[in-house]
Amino acid sequence: MPLYGTLDITQNAKALPTLGNLDTEAWTLPKAEMLQLLIEVPRSTTDGLLPKAMHPALPSYVILAVTRYSESPVGPFNLAVLRLGSRAGAHPRGFLLGAVASTVAAAKELRGRWGLPVEAGEVKFLRRHDRVMGTVAKGGKTILDCALVDPQPVAGTDVQYINWVTAANAPLDGQTQPMLIQVDPKYTFYKAERGKPQVSAFDAAAWNAGAITLADPIVGTCCTVDTDLPRIRFVMDPLKPVFQGTRRIRESRADE
Amino acid sequence: MKFGLFYEISIPRPWTPEKERTVYNNCLEQVKLADELGFDHVWAVEHHFLEEYSHCSAPELFLTACAMVTKNIQVGHGIVVCVPEFNHPIKIAERTATLDILSGGRLHVGTGRSATWTELGGFRANPDTTKKSWDEFVRCLPKMWMQETFSYQGEFWSMPERTILPKPYQKPHPPMWVAVTSPGTEIDAADRGLGSLGLSFAGFDEQEKKIKEYRRRIKSCEPVGAFVNEQVATTNFLFCHEDEKTGVEMGKRLGNTFNYLATQLISTREVFSSPSYQSLGLLPALRRAATGPDANEQQTEGMAYGDPARIIRAVKKWESLGVDCINFILNANEVVPQDQVMASLRLFAKEVMPVFAKGSANKVAAE
Repeated sequence: MPLYGTLDITQNAKALPTLGNLDTEAWTLPKAEMLQLLIEVPRSTTDGLLPKAMHPALPSYVILAVTRYSESPVGPFNLAVLRLGSRAGAHPRGFLLGAVASTVAAAKELRGRWGLPVEAGEVKFLRRHDRVMGTVAKGGKTILDCALVDPQPVAGTDVQYINWVTAANAPLDGQTQPMLIQVDPKYTFYKAERGKPQVSAFDAAAWNAGAITLADPIVGTCCTVDTDLPRIRFVMDPLKPVFQGTRRIRESRADE
Repeated sequence: MKFGLFYEISIPRPWTPEKERTVYNNCLEQVKLADELGFDHVWAVEHHFLEEYSHCSAPELFLTACAMVTKNIQVGHGIVVCVPEFNHPIKIAERTATLDILSGGRLHVGTGRSATWTELGGFRANPDTTKKSWDEFVRCLPKMWMQETFSYQGEFWSMPERTILPKPYQKPHPPMWVAVTSPGTEIDAADRGLGSLGLSFAGFDEQEKKIKEYRRRIKSCEPVGAFVNEQVATTNFLFCHEDEKTGVEMGKRLGNTFNYLATQLISTREVFSSPSYQSLGLLPALRRAATGPDANEQQTEGMAYGDPARIIRAVKKWESLGVDCINFILNANEVVPQDQVMASLRLFAKEVMPVFAKGSANKVAAE
């Protein structure tokens, strides 16, 4: 049967974000601009980064995303995330390795409400006519400098965003414990562009990405969307195969 | 109704030389038996890099071996990936003609364009252009087979005038098909006079719509070849057992294993935003069905597993929708022991096939 990840997140639970509860309210995030680059990475460099409950994507790839949220309950902020392409059971997912938010408030709320491994830093989203750029710095050091080069219009229906999975501690059955949490935003597209990914700086260690090296670019997109961070619906046992260890903690939204 | 076998050649880890050889030999043994039992077709896919799901990257070799150990069963080379980074069209014309000769005119040629990033990215093919290159290929192949000399200048490939050799044994040429998974491809098939090689496991309603549209459109087609191959084939799982419960349980296990492996593939749309891949193909239905490799949920309707009576009901339903041929997947990751696969084939041939034989008294009685 398919390969599984080898990461036991329970061995380093203290390093994970901790949620006060699993009842966080949804955030509506209108007119977000999302730069997303997909890049293949050597399979050997992803060993040990994926929880035991999940299957690796073959070939291995990462999703680098830099998003400008112009409105949110904590004000405007930019967010950069690194996700590892994977499977939760039969479903494609991006497992969050690291994230940086441009405001302390956003970082705190994203960690505490959804368990995203976010730290505060400097995140810039810049649009030029020939490219859309994202840069991320922490402690004065650039840890990501990337761009979507030569963006060309495509239809929003051509773009598929996959749902996120993050590792965090959260209370369940009277005990705060490490678990995997699915975060599944919705998207309404206003504008979509596609182009070539370009990365001129990437510090894997700063993204909790082990020895990942970026290899073959797949594609880049930049889209303007209404999106959200929804209420948490599914949590997963980090050590059991997802098809055995998934718990629905909330019914789907009315629009699903 | 015709019946065929459909091979992805799925091989479980750990991969040892002996395991791959065993699975290939199992498949050949099944094909030999199927030929003796009166099955009509054996199809083999072309897939690359799809770990466990399909180790069938050189189907023309497997099918040549099939042809060498059988007498009557027709060999379906399909689908051949009609994307220049995968296969040069001259090589496709040459090797299919050779296979047709070696099989004594038993070849069918299925065409397609690949649906996974794993494969397209592996060959550094551009997903945006695969529909166009497929279209060029299917229009060239019949001419390459039939014309004494051939030259071509297209968008995706070209060649100066040469004689492409050998020529197929069948005249004017082997029947041509196209893989139909994405919505709308049945129209592509009909408009070109190609057989519809259904590779999805959609339920009755969706298949019925596709078949009706195919039959309607093909009446006014402009065939790419010398004749119209109006045929609708669909894919199914087969496990036939005297005991219905045993048959259903093993059939579900087979289906779930296949589906779960299939859902691990990286569909092109999942990672490469392209107007050429608007659909996830067969994956959404599989993901709904494949909650786990050993899941016991209800699967898509019309599956050919259970006891003969149950399978006859399913096949009759497909027949009533206008399906001409059902191609069966017999195994996935070797979850069905070889002796049970063989017994299933024998029981199906004994109890089910006669019901659907042309002019069969059994058929009349069953109706």
